[in-house]
Amino acid sequence: MRTAGGDASGAISVHDLVKRFGDILALDRVSLEVAAGEVLGLLGPNGAGKTTLIRILLGLTRPTSGEARLLGEPVGARNVRPRVGYMPQDLAVYTDLTVDENVELFCRLQGVHGDRLRAREREILELVQLSTRRRSLVSELSGGMRRRVSLAAALVADPDLLLLDEPTVGVDPELRSEFWEFFHRLTTSGKTVVLTTHYLEEANRADRVVFLNAGRVLASGAPAEVKSRTGTGNLEDAFLRLVRSGAGSGV
Amino acid sequence: MAVGRVLAIARKALGQLAHDRRTVAFVLVVPLVLILVFGYGFGGQPNHIATVVVNEDHGPLGAAFLAALPGGILDLSTASSNASAWSAVNSGNDWAAIVIGPNFTEMARAGVVSLTLYLDGTSPTIAQAVESAVESALESVFSSHGNGSAVHVASDYVYGSSTTPFIDTIAPGIMALAILFITTVLSIVVLVRERSAGLLERLFASPLRPSEFVAGHALSLTVVALAQVAVLFTAALAIFHATFTGNLLFAYGVLVLFGVGNLGLGMLLSAAARSEFQAIQFIPLLLIPQILFAGALFPIEAIPVAFRPISDILPLTYAARAVQDILLRGWGPSGVAIDLLALGIYAALMLSGAILLVRRQA
Repeated sequence: MRTAGGDASGAISVHDLVKRFGDILALDRVSLEVAAGEVLGLLGPNGAGKTTLIRILLGLTRPTSGEARLLGEPVGARNVRPRVGYMPQDLAVYTDLTVDENVELFCRLQGVHGDRLRAREREILELVQLSTRRRSLVSELSGGMRRRVSLAAALVADPDLLLLDEPTVGVDPELRSEFWEFFHRLTTSGKTVVLTTHYLEEANRADRVVFLNAGRVLASGAPAEVKSRTGTGNLEDAFLRLVRSGAGSGV
Repeated sequence: MAVGRVLAIARKALGQLAHDRRTVAFVLVVPLVLILVFGYGFGGQPNHIATVVVNEDHGPLGAAFLAALPGGILDLSTASSNASAWSAVNSGNDWAAIVIGPNFTEMARAGVVSLTLYLDGTSPTIAQAVESAVESALESVFSSHGNGSAVHVASDYVYGSSTTPFIDTIAPGIMALAILFITTVLSIVVLVRERSAGLLERLFASPLRPSEFVAGHALSLTVVALAQVAVLFTAALAIFHATFTGNLLFAYGVLVLFGVGNLGLGMLLSAAARSEFQAIQFIPLLLIPQILFAGALFPIEAIPVAFRPISDILPLTYAARAVQDILLRGWGPSGVAIDLLALGIYAALMLSGAILLVRRQA
């Protein structure tokens, strides 16, 4: 099954998720539903719990309690992994390999080989504007180009669900805008995109945003809805107002 | 395990190597340097040993004895007296002096063969070479003159011969040591590097299993080990004219199995290390005891008895012994079964340990 479908079964379903690291409460009863075909922006300051949430969804960290399902399966299930693309916050590409070799590695690990791999590779490298640098070692590329290689590695196997941790850091505004267009184009074919960003203004382009602070969900909804609910003109003010009022968190 | 993912990882590791010419050179040149250094450096028997001779014999046997001294080993010069021969050794001009007394022939015919050797014992290897040259000359003279000496040892070599070149005996040990060295160095930083770059996490967010990650690296290292062993065999055969009696392919296989075990050990240690710097500190700890106690370069019999149990727990002991037995004695699988079993257990334990630890690193 290659499409998640736009039906009622959500792409992500998180219920009362708690994660403790010793004394630190990284996630505090987080609940979240992401519908298939949605672009969701996960927003919040450093230490809010965004990366921990993504790591749990990927099965890299076990939650202390609570339940999380991905594409209808419990997190960590092997059969969903080929359908999930992940771009970590760290660069996490091989700087001693070429652009091609990186993209092909992650494509093969997701189970895509042969002609389909070639076709996908060509398409994705065009999208991230690295077609002319495909034979360059990543170590020879600029910081922004390296981020684009990392994004290409997450996208290349055509996953149903994309978990992107800060995909637009170091990417210039014009290309950033193209990325957003691409994310929306993906959702029209039933794919789901969850991304974290600290450029709160670009999150206006998400279908829905979730504000996380200190391990708790402060608010969620369409950007316009969140702004009107808080009576603010932009997401940054909305976030600050939510933090100060302690909305949803009891802080 | 999915073959596609194992191959993807192996391809990645070989790609990294291919882009790094210095490491390629390291991988191919180090075994060559090792075999050259050991082959030339401590591979030869002592020869052209400066030796002074005093022959005061009134009969013919003294001269016959001198003529029978094996050529090339001793460089003979003559001195006029016992005292000057002694002072030639004392002054360091010569390693040894051979003094044949005036009644050498007469006494020998009466059944007593007697001569005097002055030796510089600061190099036992040289002193022994002089003694053995003298003994073999005596033996050949007195057996051909029908005056068989009172002592006769019948030496019949079961394996090898008295003229087996030193490089033959040491090449198997050097090969095993070279494989140990390179596989350990290459694998010990693998995990640390991938972990610090966030790559391990990314890899394990994909369908990749830890066993596939380890198997892929084992596969790529096998390719490297194959190339290294080829360099070692070529050098031993072409440069040193080593004469191996056994099956080269079998020895090849044993060395590769040993390399895979080392990879597992390297990855285990890599998982235990927090940084590349820490990982590299394991290398001397792994190598030095094996160089000294595994019988690869020095016979285990040269180690004090109390320390010999150490050699039983060193993987290199089994690898070096198996390759020696295969190449020098011409033994097949049944002859080296215990060593193969030990190496198999080593590889299985290390690889499973690595598989268990790898995932926790993500």
